[in-house]
Amino acid sequence: MLLISHGSVLCGADRILEEHAARLGSSVYPIVEIGFLNYSAPSFEAAVARCHEHGATQIVIVPYFLVAGKFVTADLPIRIGAARKQFPELQFTVADALLDAPELATAVLEMADRAVLLPQAIRAARVPGSECQLRPDCPLFNSMACPRSSAR
Amino acid sequence: MTQTALLVIVHGSPREESNDDVRRVLDHIREGGKYDQVQAAFLDCNEPDIPTAVRQCVEAGARRIVCVPYFLHSGRHVALDIPQILQQCASTFPHVEIFLSPLIGSSAVISQILRYRARQAVGFSG
Repeated sequence: MLLISHGSVLCGADRILEEHAARLGSSVYPIVEIGFLNYSAPSFEAAVARCHEHGATQIVIVPYFLVAGKFVTADLPIRIGAARKQFPELQFTVADALLDAPELATAVLEMADRAVLLPQAIRAARVPGSECQLRPDCPLFNSMACPRSSAR
Repeated sequence: MTQTALLVIVHGSPREESNDDVRRVLDHIREGGKYDQVQAAFLDCNEPDIPTAVRQCVEAGARRIVCVPYFLHSGRHVALDIPQILQQCASTFPHVEIFLSPLIGSSAVISQILRYRARQAVGFSG
């Protein structure tokens, strides 16, 4: 199983996808990898190569996207087409995006139960994160929301 | 009794099908009946925006608003934009309690949906 996401310049933005991947390993999916279309590592191509190295013969690509927008309907098929050429022995299957899965309602309600009053929520969001690399191209760099901001 | 509104904060999409997906998810939540009001607010592309949606919730009687970012990743919108806009709303309506949750991407339920999507795609149980 290959979880594919857009990628981000934000430090630690890949952490959530890693957490999902860690939950998804099973006897049915002994290999679970993550890959990004832009910015973050590993790239989609590197992730496919990693699945191949681990002995995968079939790869189910699951888009970690809420909507089937341009990245899922246009960009991803082009990247998969190139990967098919590079690894003709691999079988690729593409799953749907999350779309209107009824369990999304469960996820919303679960998170709602964890909501805290606004000032506390903002303070919690600024708890120092070890993943912060103080990258100047991060959108949070030098902002109040940066975990290492001097404004804290 | 204090009325509580659930405000689901969505990025918004120029594609109407995507917004329809969100509306169906909201309908599921309404059916559960846990919240007096269930509304969407959009950061972009759609209406209402967050301040308008908060005002509508308050006008409809909500004195407590629970905001859930309908996002899979933590980024500028979740970390910066949404808290800033909600802070402005909180100062406009000081008598209303505004709560903010983690983004839905941090829920383990999302892992289950990913597994289900994989299973659907290959057509066997797993």
